[in-house]
Amino acid sequence: MGWEEKQVRGFPEFVQTAQRYHGRPIFALFCGDKDAEGRSWCPDCVTAEPVVRKELHNMPEESVFIYCLVGDRAYWKDPNNEFRKNLKLTGVPTLLKYGTPQKLVEEECFKADLVRMLFTED
Amino acid sequence: QEAAKYEKKVMVLDFVTPTPLGNSWGLGGTCVNVGCIPKKLMHQAALLGQALQDSRKFGWEFAEEVKHNWMTMTESVQNYIGSLNWGYRVALREKKVTYENAYGEFVGPHTVKATNKRGVEKLYTAERFLIATGERPRYLGIPGDKEYCISSDDLFSLPYCPGKTLVVGASYVALECAGFLAGLGLDVTVMVRSILLRGFDQDMANKIGEYMEEHGINFIREFVPIKVEQIEEGTPGRLKVTAKSTKGNQIIEGEYNTVLLAIGRDACTRNIGLDKVGVMINEKTGKIPVNDEEQTNVPYIYAVGDILQDKLELTPVAIQAGRLLVRRLYGDATSKCDYVNVPTTVFTPLEYGACGYSEEAAVEKFGEENIEVYHSYFWPLEWTVPSRDNNKCYAKIICNIQDNERVIGFHVLGPNAGEVTQGFAAAIKCGMTKEQLSSTIGIHPVCAEV
Repeated sequence: MGWEEKQVRGFPEFVQTAQRYHGRPIFALFCGDKDAEGRSWCPDCVTAEPVVRKELHNMPEESVFIYCLVGDRAYWKDPNNEFRKNLKLTGVPTLLKYGTPQKLVEEECFKADLVRMLFTED
Repeated sequence: QEAAKYEKKVMVLDFVTPTPLGNSWGLGGTCVNVGCIPKKLMHQAALLGQALQDSRKFGWEFAEEVKHNWMTMTESVQNYIGSLNWGYRVALREKKVTYENAYGEFVGPHTVKATNKRGVEKLYTAERFLIATGERPRYLGIPGDKEYCISSDDLFSLPYCPGKTLVVGASYVALECAGFLAGLGLDVTVMVRSILLRGFDQDMANKIGEYMEEHGINFIREFVPIKVEQIEEGTPGRLKVTAKSTKGNQIIEGEYNTVLLAIGRDACTRNIGLDKVGVMINEKTGKIPVNDEEQTNVPYIYAVGDILQDKLELTPVAIQAGRLLVRRLYGDATSKCDYVNVPTTVFTPLEYGACGYSEEAAVEKFGEENIEVYHSYFWPLEWTVPSRDNNKCYAKIICNIQDNERVIGFHVLGPNAGEVTQGFAAAIKCGMTKEQLSSTIGIHPVCAEV
């Protein structure tokens, strides 16, 4: 397999985890929080998650996949939330390669071949 | 992308042969990676430096000395370029265009061989081919040039500040780079073989040179380098440049941290197998002659961009030519690319925008007695308070007396020249006459009202 997944919630936990794996390829998927039944308030995230998970095996060896819940809907809508301010996220779901300008936003995450391209690009 | 809209099966082969110093880049061509985009951003960095100085006269107070960090700027610029490279990859994918990062060359009729960076070869056939390989910087062919000198291909991602720099050349690339490097606070010298900005209006070219000289850029005129040697290794190191006069036997020497060559660009047409499919090229310049529908002498092979003979080397021209070509081939369009009255801007410290004929070209084509030149110096309002030069900004229009005083040339030297020129280019395309121009009321207070 050669890769591992870390699940985090909120900005500080995300940053801590990303820093811990500095030096390895890090991919992150940002989604809205899930309720008690495991359903996200963000319908696009619900669509994107299985598409992304199916492509994870294409990540390079030693990769770290961080699955990050950003917060509830109200937190996300705040234009000054930490993800918007510090990571420049503009929407959820966002799938990105940490430390590079490579990312896929919203409907782009539904497309398996784009996800695969992000995971396998040099 | 345009062809894919018409449901054609399309493939793009893009490969960057590394520079002598090992530099390479992503998808997008020269403009995005080592041309217009990083150039304009660095030009902006230099302008901001000037603005910071002006700001004190407008009441901004800051005690600390203002310094520039090359690495911070370069990282931001490269990051932006990276997002563009990625954006193109996504766009091609979404439009179902197959992309291969491989070096393409013709091996036979309708067939190309693509070699990737690992040396793996694949063959592809197609109904039609479009060549848009562009150009790369020319080297001097003197001892030490490839080992120690850099070109614009290396400058925009240089991982260390270039320091005291010698720019060889007087092209717009040379002057723009010299301009922003000096604007960032570096000691810059420009070595010119003969004239500045060959092909551009010489009256304007000289004003640009004068302005740069008065603002701290040294010019060494009528000399060419004959040898570059390394005195000390480093990032940057120290180089010794020996140069000879073009007018006699005088030899001079100078020491610099970096030598930037900007003496011209050569078309990338020599090693792509054009001979195997019979595409004619101009042996001397490497450029490809095409008809007014961008078709080479081989009917199924087309070409656009800087490699075309006798056409303007500008990104928007190449893009427009490419789009229209595809629409003619696969859509029902008939319009051809209009290569006349294409506006351009040179982003030297004092920007220069132009559209149409230079004064010399107008005189040559229509005769001196048939053209009228209207000109004016102007002092941008924003320059008054910080006491910047009051006699440098300049605008002129060239009119054809025999054709209702139609405006056939527009030239402006001043801030935001590019923005100003764009509108006038549209007016010239519509055939604006001097009277129409004069009767257009100006916006006040802006430079363009002149």
